[in-house]
Amino acid sequence: MTVAQDQMDATFTALADPTRRAIISLLARGDATVNELAAPFAMTLPGISKHLKVLERCGLISRSRQAQFRPCHLERAALDVAAGWIDEHRRIWTERFDKLDEHLRQIQASPPAIDKHLENS
Amino acid sequence: MTSQAMEPGELRFTRIFEAPRELVFRCMIEPGHLTHFWGPIGTSAPLDHITVEAKQGGRFETVMISDGDGSQYPTSAVYEEVTEPERLVWTEAQSGMRVTITFAEAGRARTEVSIHQTNVPAEYRSEQAQAGFLTSLDRFAWYLTELRPGGMS
Repeated sequence: MTVAQDQMDATFTALADPTRRAIISLLARGDATVNELAAPFAMTLPGISKHLKVLERCGLISRSRQAQFRPCHLERAALDVAAGWIDEHRRIWTERFDKLDEHLRQIQASPPAIDKHLENS
Repeated sequence: MTSQAMEPGELRFTRIFEAPRELVFRCMIEPGHLTHFWGPIGTSAPLDHITVEAKQGGRFETVMISDGDGSQYPTSAVYEEVTEPERLVWTEAQSGMRVTITFAEAGRARTEVSIHQTNVPAEYRSEQAQAGFLTSLDRFAWYLTELRPGGMS
């Protein structure tokens, strides 16, 4: 397993939680402080902070070390990586199915299709 | 990520083939067929590297080999369900990826094949797979520590 796959696992695990997905949606509108993020969720600050740590750990968000309220920032590139996983697998299945399409055409064009062809392959 | 139906790490994919359902299903579980299409463009999937034990708990192993530099991409999965000619489900223990394929008749000698691929949440994984998942998380934590000393709080 590669580091990239490990990171992908962590990213998808982080995104599997509905609260964390909602936080991502909020941050897509702009940077926000922990207080601002906690407001819509009837959650304690430590509760929100826990979620933010998960998101920060897998690189989906970053937090300024300088500013007084340490606003959270969405790292869009990390989200793109997750979206890239989906694109990559969509590509694999598309190419596979193009080949399967061609394969089915060939074996059906030369009956008896199934077993005969298996012997040849 | 914006669509409500889509969970993170989820892929849905549908394709119609001009072939009877039985035949399309057999293409997915017989090495002699798989070798013709399993490797995406620029790769091949040699017959002698394909293992199919088409039953629940059976192995499904393939190796995709790059035409360019010969690098190998082995995958190892276990069937969770084999219901001929309707449904195939397998899980790749290492990546935690689960693939469900449904085969539906879409008219005479036409078959609709639907792929549903997910990164299985940790809690749904087998014990063995869970152990692998935790190991990978540990390694990821280690990697972060190496990269960004003091970056983990």
